[in-house]
Order: sequence, then structure tokens, then C-alpha cells
Amino acid sequence: MRTAWLIPVFPFLGFFFNLLLGKRLGKNAVTAAGVGSIALSFVLACVLFVAMLHAPGHRLELAYGEWMSAGAFSVPLGFVIDPLSGIMMLVITGIGFLIHLYSVGYMGEDSGYARFFAYMNLFVFFMLTLVMGSSLPLLFVGWEGVGLCSYLLIGYDYAQADDVPAAAGLKAFIYNRVGDLGVLMGMFALFAAFGTLTIGDILLKAGHLGPQLGFGLLTFATLMFFIGCTGKSAQLPLYMWLPDAMAGPTPVSALIHAATMVTSGIYLVVRMAPLFQMTPLTMTIIAWVGGLTALFAATIAIVQKDIKRVLAYSTVSQLGYMFLGLGVAGFAAGFFHVFTHAWFKALLFLGAGSVIHALHHEQNLMKMGGLWKKMPITGWTMLIATACIIGFPGTSGFASKDEILYLAYLKSPVLYWMGVAGACCTAFYMLRLFTLAFLGEARDARAFEHAHESPATMTLPLIVLAIGALGAVAFGWPTAFGGSFRIEAFLEPSVSYGVTATEAIIHHGGSPALLAGISTVLALGFAWWGWSTYKGGLEVAETRAGRWPFLHRLLENKYFVDEGLAFILVAPLRWFGNVLWKLCDVIFIDGIGVNLPGALTRVAGDFTALFQTGRVRNYVLTMGLGGLLLLYVFLK
Amino acid sequence: MFAVFALITLLGAVLMLLQKNVIQAGLCLALSFIGVAGLFVLLGNPVAGALQIIVYAGAILILVLFVIMLLNHHEEEAAEKARPVQRWASVALTALLGAGAIALVLSSPGLKALNAGATAAVPMTLERVGETLFSDHLLAVEAIGLMLLAAMVAAVTLVKKEL
Amino acid sequence: MSPLLSGALQGYIAVALLLFIIGLATVLLRRTLLMQFMGVELMLNAANVALLAFARWRGGDVEATIFYLMIIAVAACEAAVGLALVIGLHRMRGTTDADRTATLKQ
Repeated sequence: MRTAWLIPVFPFLGFFFNLLLGKRLGKNAVTAAGVGSIALSFVLACVLFVAMLHAPGHRLELAYGEWMSAGAFSVPLGFVIDPLSGIMMLVITGIGFLIHLYSVGYMGEDSGYARFFAYMNLFVFFMLTLVMGSSLPLLFVGWEGVGLCSYLLIGYDYAQADDVPAAAGLKAFIYNRVGDLGVLMGMFALFAAFGTLTIGDILLKAGHLGPQLGFGLLTFATLMFFIGCTGKSAQLPLYMWLPDAMAGPTPVSALIHAATMVTSGIYLVVRMAPLFQMTPLTMTIIAWVGGLTALFAATIAIVQKDIKRVLAYSTVSQLGYMFLGLGVAGFAAGFFHVFTHAWFKALLFLGAGSVIHALHHEQNLMKMGGLWKKMPITGWTMLIATACIIGFPGTSGFASKDEILYLAYLKSPVLYWMGVAGACCTAFYMLRLFTLAFLGEARDARAFEHAHESPATMTLPLIVLAIGALGAVAFGWPTAFGGSFRIEAFLEPSVSYGVTATEAIIHHGGSPALLAGISTVLALGFAWWGWSTYKGGLEVAETRAGRWPFLHRLLENKYFVDEGLAFILVAPLRWFGNVLWKLCDVIFIDGIGVNLPGALTRVAGDFTALFQTGRVRNYVLTMGLGGLLLLYVFLK
Repeated sequence: MFAVFALITLLGAVLMLLQKNVIQAGLCLALSFIGVAGLFVLLGNPVAGALQIIVYAGAILILVLFVIMLLNHHEEEAAEKARPVQRWASVALTALLGAGAIALVLSSPGLKALNAGATAAVPMTLERVGETLFSDHLLAVEAIGLMLLAAMVAAVTLVKKEL
Repeated sequence: MSPLLSGALQGYIAVALLLFIIGLATVLLRRTLLMQFMGVELMLNAANVALLAFARWRGGDVEATIFYLMIIAVAACEAAVGLALVIGLHRMRGTTDADRTATLKQ
């Protein structure tokens, strides 16, 4: 148990090894270190998970000393393994391992192989630090670290001629940074309120102080945290980086922008759940932002041509569902959706990567088609994942999503219908994606010629993920349909840590079965519509797009959000920068500060040089004038 | 008497300043020297007066005239470039200094005191000068002699065509 | 004005000062080197006048006359060497114009 620190350290060693020696020691060594370290972490994580299950209160606290202290301020270095962080640990190392294995095949021919695995390992290290940290600063180290690795990995092809990956990496990092300010402000507010930054202590104190606490400060703190979540987890208004992040390699998109990093926002909220429950205003905001994002992103995904972009907007949308769930006090439901989403979204991305790899890096859906025959494993796993995400009855996606929608209905029917609308769009675009990619006739014959099923290192993870996606449903089958929603009870120690008054969150009202039924039927209907629109090729869609050109253009250009921001924010800043440059820097600092003294000196020098004539007469005159002056002084 | 000699001295000086021809300027300088000699005599120092005529007017000035005639530059050369600043500043300076000097002399209490407390002077005689010169200041005389020698050698060396 | 013209000390000092100033003016205003030399001699004479005037009003020192003798001797040496230099300069430059012999600037 004392060896828990090895869990994050294994990937860190892998990073170090691959970064320094990887290139020299060859591909096999890099693979062994990169994939092996994650495997070791996974094994150790399983061991610790079991240990946690046997521990009292399902909580393991491991302290490794003090990190920083200044007077009354003290931050310990330690890990907390409870149900929440335990599940996250297993997801990160488990699904991470599968994705690393996949990358062996996907990135096999790439020259920066060692660098890729080094960065991926570093990412896993930081992500583990984030979920296992016992104090907010340590969590923040992980938070920032995953942002950094996201930047490094999105911009992996930094040498690409058109600079797209580099710019995308920068965009991601900057948006994350804006959000990080929120997390910092939240930390400051919490420290002001509770005098400590250790998560456990904060929650215990909050539980005791309870209603006496000034709700203003706590609301501020939780709101700031949520702003950080919108940055990291790509919600409105800081979601714009995620679609552009698809410029990175597909395994990166799968690991970071589907399964793990983007879920760190939800992790933060669930981790601090008792605090959030004390601030109903923040919860309302979270719910509405989540719901709006879910619908907003889903509409954009309908008309995207790049297969990865569809999945990116889908991720934004699904994250919106998770926040919707959290906002209506369904912490277990929201987190369960994280869990299920990790499986099927990773599967979707890896499947898309398989398709892209087979078609030699063709990502445009308009050029795909008919791959079902050529890539059966990829096709079947993608079908399973599609079924999960649209909420096909019996799948894990169905379980988690409908639990969220039910709780949303209890809060406000508008939220419920927003969620349903989003689900319909989701069904439509997912079937569109599947149909365009796998069914029908191939639209680009040349790419189709060379298409083949991917190697085993790539298809094996796909199969495992598919099994996981289907099996995850066992943890959270809703009570409305006869299940026990086991995950809720399991997460109880994490969600209500420190809460003294144990009010059982009993949900009343509405009929969960009816609501779930309505949403599922509608979603399936839209799914059938999506399939039928595209099964014969693009003509039906194109005529329909022709009938509503304005709407089509609006959606295709993502509601012109990026352009709007460039106009409102970027252009004025750039103008201001220009002013600072041309006015302040060139005229004031260079001209007046630097050049003026120089020019003055030269003028003074030139003037003084006038007196150096070389003629004795002039010198005698000067002497005489001096004598005159002395005479004047004397006579005074 | 004083006024006469003072006038001669100053007149000679001013004329020297204003003359175009360098030889004539030298001769005006000679006039000035004679005036100075007269002033020395009025001061009760005929030795100094005589020495003034002999050495200054008779040797140094003649030397200067010889050099002028040797170089054959009788007229002042045309100016390379007109320099009004120098000219007018010099004139102004001269005028101011002159006025200042007169004012200083007239107003100085020290001079007044010295003037008042003077006794009648005993005229200087050559015997007295010679006595003191060759007894108390013998070293100085020898030194002067050496200096004159050095000056002579230097002058000869400086104008030799080949060393 | 009367002390100036009546042969009092002020008069001699005034003459000495004016001689000095005229000598200075000659150096400033004339360009020929020999003229400037004559101005310098004039300045020297002015100093001599002042010296002997003060000597007379302080009791008629013989030392003053001896000092005066030294001054003349030095003036003679200086004249010799100075004129030799002027001749040398004339040989090299072909001019005795003070302005033309300045080489500090073009």
C-alpha cells in the first residue's frame, strides 16, 4: 500500500526514459517502456483498488510528507484513494493502456515515435496526480500538467507546413489557461474560507460549518471552479479549442479529449460535491450551461465533414450531458456517464483512427463509404459504440443518459427537453457518420482500393473497448427498470464526504420509465432518419441542405463563433498591441528614451566641437573672456 | 610730463595695432617703447629707462624687423575666411576690459592707500644696481648667461636647413 | 580723472593695464604671426611698467630693477627662439598667417 506512489511514477519513468534514450534505443525499447509502464500502473492500481474496498469507509489516505508550508499555511503531499479516484485511476490506466497499445500500430511508421510515447506517458502521470492528489495544489499540478501535455500532443506534428497543429495546440493551451484562472481563484476563496487547501479537511470543515458559512464566498469559489471546468472540459464559453484539437494524432484525441483530460472538470466537481451542494446558484448555472452546450454542440456536429470533428463536437455535447447531470445533483449519474462515455468515446475515436489509417489519412466523410465489407472488426465495434452513444436500450449509454435526463426533468422540464433534443441530434449525426463511413458505395475509389483491416495491435483494443462499453451497463442499470444503480451507492463515500446531515437524496416525481421511453423512442427515430438519409449516398442530404442554405451555412461554420471572437476580442487586442508597438515602443521608448539622449549628446558634442578650431587667436579670445568674467566677479 | 609720455606710449601701441604694413607697425612699437622708457625715467629709474632703450628697442625690436625683412611679408595676408565672430568679440572684449580696467584703477582703495603713503623716491643709480646684482644675485646672472646661451643655440638649430 | 593724469600711482597702473589690453587686442585681431609676437612684447612691457611703478611707491627697491633686468633677458631669449620658430614655420608652410597654420580641422 505504501507503494501507491509508484502508480504515477511508472509513467513518469517511462516519459523520462523515452524522452532521453528512446530515439537511440529503437522502437522496441520505446514500446516496452511506454506501454509497459502503463501496464504496470494498471496492475498496481487494481491492487490498490481492492485494498481500498477492504479499507474502512472505502478510503485510503497516503501521506508522503509536507510539500510546502509557510506559517499557518501548509500543503501536504499525499494521495487519497476512495471510490471516485479509484474508478478514475482504473479508467486512466486501463483505457490508457489500451490506447497506448493501439498507438503502437497507429504511430508505427512515425519518426517521432519515442517523443509520442514520452508525452503520452507524461500525460498519464499528470492525470493520475490530478485524480489521486489529496490537496488542491497537487490537483492543480496535475490539472496544469495535463493541459501542458495536451498542448504538446496536439502540436505533435509541429513541423507541418501550414502550422495547423501548432496553432491548435496553442489555442487549446490558451483556453485552458483562461479556465485555470478560475481554478486558482476558487482555491484562493476556499483558503480564505477554510484556511486549508487539503481536500479532505475542506470538506470536513464545510460539513461542520454548514449553513453558518457565508454563502457568497462559497458560491464564488464554486463558480470559479466551474469556470475552470468550462475551460478544461470544453463547455460554453470555452469549448472552441476541442474541435481544433483534432489536429493531433487520433490516439491523442481518444485518450485526452475523450476519456480522461476533458473529464477532469467533472472529477473536480464531484470531488468537491458537498461544497457544490451548498451552493444552489452554482448548481443551477452548471445545469443550464451543460444542457445548452449539449444541444449547441450536437447541432454543429450534424453538418461536419471531418470524421474526427463530428466526434469532437460529440464529445463537447456529451460533456454537456455530464455537467447537466451534476447540476441537478445527480453526481453519481453524471459520473457514471463519464465512465460509460470513456469506453464508447475512446472506442469511437480509435475506430475512426482505424478508418483513417486504412484510408491513408483520409478524414473526410464525403470521401468514405462501403468500408463495412473491408474492415469488419472496426465496423462491428463502431456499431456497438454508436449504439451506446445514441442510448440504444440495454446499452451503458442508455443507462447513464436516461438517469441524467430523469433528474433534469425533476429540476426543470425545459432542461429535459433540451437534453432530449440533443439526444435526437446525437442519434442523427452518429448514424450519419456510421452510414457515410461504412455503408453504401465507396465515394473515393482510389482510397477504397487500398483499404484493409488494421493490424492486431489496433483491433485488439477496439474489441476490448467494445466489450467494456457493453459491460459497463452492469454498474448502473437504472432503478426504474429493475436495476440497483449500483454506482450511486458505491460513490456515496466520495460524494458526501464530510456531510454531517445525511439527507438521503431521494428523487420524487415524474415517471422515470416514461421519460426514458420518450427520449429513447425519439432518439431511435432520429437515428433511423439519419440512416435513411445517407444510406443512398449524399444526394438526399445535399438537396435538403440546398433548401435551407442559411441554416446549413450557420451550422457548418460553427455559428461563426471563432470568427466572432476574432472580431470582438482578438482584433482589438491586436490593434492595441500595434498601438503599444508603434506608439509606445517605437516613439516613446526608442525615440525619446533611447535615441533622444543619443541625439542630444551628438548635438552637444557638435556644438562643443565648434570651439576646437586649432587657431590660437580663438583660444586667446576665450581666455580673455574668462578673464573678463573674473574681473566682473572681482569688482562685484 | 607723465601725461605726455603716457600718451606717447599708448599712441604708439594703438598705431601699431592699426597699421597695415608690418614694418611700420614695428616702428610704432619702437615709439611705444621709447614712451615706456620715458615713463621709467619719470619713475626715478633712469637705469631701467636706458636698459629699455638698449635691449628692447635696440635689440629685440631690431631682431623682429630683420625677420620681417627676411621673410619679406610686409603686408598682412588676405584672410582665408572672414571671421566676424572673432573680430567683433575681440573688439567687445577689448572695450569692456579697458573700461573695466579704468574703473578698477580708479576705485581701488589699495592703490589710493599706496599712493598716499609714498615717500619721495631716491633715483636709482647704476652703481646700486651693479652692486646688488653682482653680490646678492650672482647666481641669477650666471643663470641668465646660460639661458642666453641656450636660446642662442636653440635659435641657430631651429633655422638650420640640415641638422 | 585727475589722479590718472597727474602722475600718481593710478596713472601708471592705468597705462600698464591699457598697454596690456592693447597687446591682447593685437594678438586677437591680427593674423600675421609677427604682429602677434609684437603684441606679446607689448604685454610684457606693460607688466614691466606695473612692476617698476609699484616699486617706486613702495620705497624704490633696487631688487625691482634687477627683476626688471631678468625680465628683459628672458624676453630676449624668448624673442630669439620665437622668431626662429617663425622662420621655420615659414619655410615649411610658406605662410605666416596664423589661421592658415592651424591644422586641427580641414
